[in-house]
Amino acid sequence: MFEFLFNYPLAVYRKGTLVFSSGWSAALLATVLIAAAAGLFWLLRRRRLEGRRLLALGLFEWGVLALLLVLLWQPALSVTVLKPQQNVVAVVVDASASMALEQRYQEARQLAEGAVVADLKKRFPVRLYVAGDVPARVEKLPETPEAQRTDLGAALRQIAAESAMLPVGAVVLMTDGADNGGNLGPDTIESLRRARIPVHAVGFGSEKAERDVEIADADLPARVLPGSRMLLTVTLRQSGFRGQTAKLAVRDGDSVLAQKEVKLAGEGEPWRETLALDAGNAGVKTLSISVVPLAEEANKRNNAVERIVDVRDRKPRILYFEGEPRWEMKFIRRAAEEDGQLDLASIVRTTENRFYRQGIRSPQELERGFPASVDELFAFQALIIGNVEAGYFSPAQQTLIREFADRRGGGVLFLGGRAALSDGGWHRSPLAEILPVGLPDKKGAFRREPATAELTRAGAESLITRIEEDPEKNMARWKALPYLADYQETGAPKPGATVLVEAVPGVRLRHPLLVTQNYGRGRVALLATGGTWRWQMAQDARDQSHETFWQQLLRWLSGQVEERVTLLTSRQTYEGGEAVRIRAEVRDHNYLPSTSAVVSVNVLGPGGVSDTLELAPSRTEAGVFEAEWRAPRPGSYLAEAVAREGMEELGRDTVTFRREDGAQEFFRTEQNRELLERLAQQTGGRYYRPADAGGLAKEIELSEAGITVRETRPVWNAPAAFLLLAGLKAAEWLVRRRWGAV
Amino acid sequence: MDMRRQLALVLAGLMLAATLYAFQRGYGNIRRLFPETDADFPPPGAEQKTEFYFARLRYPNVRASGIWAMRGSWTVDYPKADRQFVQGLIRLTRIHANPMERVVDLTSDEIFNYPFVYVVEPGHWDLPEAQARKLREFIDRGGFLMTDDFHGTFEWELFTASLNKAFADRPIVDVEDSDPIFHVLYDLDDRVQVPGIVNYPFQKTYEYDGIEPKWRAWRDARGRIAIAICFNMDQGDAWEWADNPHYPEKYASQAYRTAINYILYAMTH
Repeated sequence: MFEFLFNYPLAVYRKGTLVFSSGWSAALLATVLIAAAAGLFWLLRRRRLEGRRLLALGLFEWGVLALLLVLLWQPALSVTVLKPQQNVVAVVVDASASMALEQRYQEARQLAEGAVVADLKKRFPVRLYVAGDVPARVEKLPETPEAQRTDLGAALRQIAAESAMLPVGAVVLMTDGADNGGNLGPDTIESLRRARIPVHAVGFGSEKAERDVEIADADLPARVLPGSRMLLTVTLRQSGFRGQTAKLAVRDGDSVLAQKEVKLAGEGEPWRETLALDAGNAGVKTLSISVVPLAEEANKRNNAVERIVDVRDRKPRILYFEGEPRWEMKFIRRAAEEDGQLDLASIVRTTENRFYRQGIRSPQELERGFPASVDELFAFQALIIGNVEAGYFSPAQQTLIREFADRRGGGVLFLGGRAALSDGGWHRSPLAEILPVGLPDKKGAFRREPATAELTRAGAESLITRIEEDPEKNMARWKALPYLADYQETGAPKPGATVLVEAVPGVRLRHPLLVTQNYGRGRVALLATGGTWRWQMAQDARDQSHETFWQQLLRWLSGQVEERVTLLTSRQTYEGGEAVRIRAEVRDHNYLPSTSAVVSVNVLGPGGVSDTLELAPSRTEAGVFEAEWRAPRPGSYLAEAVAREGMEELGRDTVTFRREDGAQEFFRTEQNRELLERLAQQTGGRYYRPADAGGLAKEIELSEAGITVRETRPVWNAPAAFLLLAGLKAAEWLVRRRWGAV
Repeated sequence: MDMRRQLALVLAGLMLAATLYAFQRGYGNIRRLFPETDADFPPPGAEQKTEFYFARLRYPNVRASGIWAMRGSWTVDYPKADRQFVQGLIRLTRIHANPMERVVDLTSDEIFNYPFVYVVEPGHWDLPEAQARKLREFIDRGGFLMTDDFHGTFEWELFTASLNKAFADRPIVDVEDSDPIFHVLYDLDDRVQVPGIVNYPFQKTYEYDGIEPKWRAWRDARGRIAIAICFNMDQGDAWEWADNPHYPEKYASQAYRTAINYILYAMTH
């Protein structure tokens, strides 16, 4: 209809520029229109018309006059169009495995091999491509879509590159948009825009999954200590099963580590479930996270994912400095000793001039008390500062403590006490900056009065405070804990800090008790009491609340601390042919980013795969070294980086990753229309449903790419103009008749 | 009764009277030199809340007769020894200690608020099963017990008879000189027997057949000393009479140092 009324499709109007074929200027037209309006007004006033009548009749008559004047100027559209037979149209068909769902591929083939492309071929040479693992030009489409990956970006980049030598006028992309190649970024879009190639996307597949449960993501820490609790966060999506329950399970080989009944929620929207897992013994583990498939589920291959966790057998060292003998120290030491995976060294000031050291590795270690050098302090992964005044530490030591968190990435825990926090002048020290709370400017904040400890909402989710596995039982367990021997008032938590536990000394009184935050590369926690020892002494000897809490807090503090060399990959799993992005963060002896290190990585993989590569310094980040590498076959890979400065080894680190071919094809299988629309809009193309693709051939010629010609297409003779003219006169006649003024 | 026999009886009676007189006179002399006082006023600062309290165990006595009935009670040296020792503890260390002792027993749960407990004359305690089990629970939770002032074979057997009701699973052992408990603060390699005032003028430092002082211990599953046993010595008297010129300074000094080490050990292990 639009084309009938206005001579051309809407796309011509969108892309064209309005011009006047008469050659007379638009300014003259405007002047004439104004003069006509003034003349009409004068004439109508002479006829003694006023008010509504003057306005209505004036508008009708001026409308007719104006339309006639515009037509007299001969309006036309100036558009750039492809020269027939001189431009190539690239038709790209997604032949990845996800296109096998819902007959998507068959539909695409029908279009590519049917009337739509046949129409195109009448006007343009058509080149056929398939997008899959690697893009390829084909004469005939494959029978079935079997590619293990959808790399639309690579196909579009190839076409953009070919346009340098070939007049590519447009791209027709037939896909479900489930791109997992990672190459459809701004660079690819920019290369298409530079070549002015419009991408017309034809989207296949339903835009919302029917009756499906999917594990959209699973997040686990990459490295943990043996015997640690790990928090697994699973992101789930479902359609069509709202309100039903499903069983979520985590397996290490045949053994089930955890399972949970989950209620399916959020129709089409992702939601998260958390499970706490026991890391178990040391070793690299591949955990399978799955939802038991439900009846009538169309796609069951997106119900499970695998994640790798490196359970590293190492003992982080923790330094505990205590300003005076306290029961808290005894029981913290005991909890750490029972852990077996924590190495706690402690110094306590027994008298004004004497220290008592425990857990030291040599008679000389910590001989002079609290460390005063990087070498001595940075040998530890975490630091506990007990009941001691800020002024006890020299300015250099205070700076060292801050750098310990910020630069070294260590964990620092501040405890409450009569000489700690604001009672110890910490609020006036430079270290106030790293505390997760603002401290009040007053003495007497420490009180040897009973207070109960209550979990906050964040605390109920935290692994530090997870004494019982079941969240409800855990909450009940915390409520049943004996009161603390003392507590210390603190100020409000800082932005970014998380309050996990509150001290409740009385009705309507609450103070942050356990607060955590990240600081620089490290972590800082505050436990505003020295009285958790009552959880041990006032409960049955078999009760493990105190030990579990402290072990988890100390593991949180020390277990994730990075050393001088940290090796990372951008993801844990890669598809075949995909580049594995390897990144090493290297620090020198003072834990400053190293710019002079030489970093080599040795990769071992399945079937005797062994490769060595040198990482190149990043151009944008100091101390970062990067490389890309392609895994030659599916399976698990282990990479070990060694960083050296001259002949000296700075450190080494390992990381594990997997190549899994085709797994991604069965996740997020619904049509990604948003991506396709964005791609079309950013390149000047259009998005089509398969049913609307018939208009492709007409619209595709409107392109600025390839070999083009400028055409002027008259619109003054469009039927719509004459209909409007007749409509205006008829409306005027009706109005005049009604008012008796014919 | 013939004359000879009557004479023998009279002589025996005179000898007994003379012995008792001599004993009384000697004891009276000791009491004159080391006068007990019943004054019991809370020391200044007793009301403040502190980290450490010197807790003394109140226990049921063994029902003995004869000379053994004269000895043994949880109150021996109480409260002067405790208060005088704590003054030294406060002065010599950074422990935030209360100047007044607390008395605890094994019939309530109050003991669990005091992880360090001192018991005097346990050679005369008679712990019922339930109290022995509670003492074990106290130790298993992390409590520390220091025993003092019992001597000789007879009192050792009474001590272990009660203790073994709940602690028989591990042996009592001698503590080696190298053990941290003798080095936490003071190095106590050269220890001597600390006598009670009953030994005045201290030519002899032992009581009964407890000739050799023994520093023994009951260790927990991880080898930490949980019950520190000062056997054949009397630290309590040394604390109590440390201010008395008739009590030798070297014994008082060692008694203070030993207990300070024990408390620091209890607070760090």
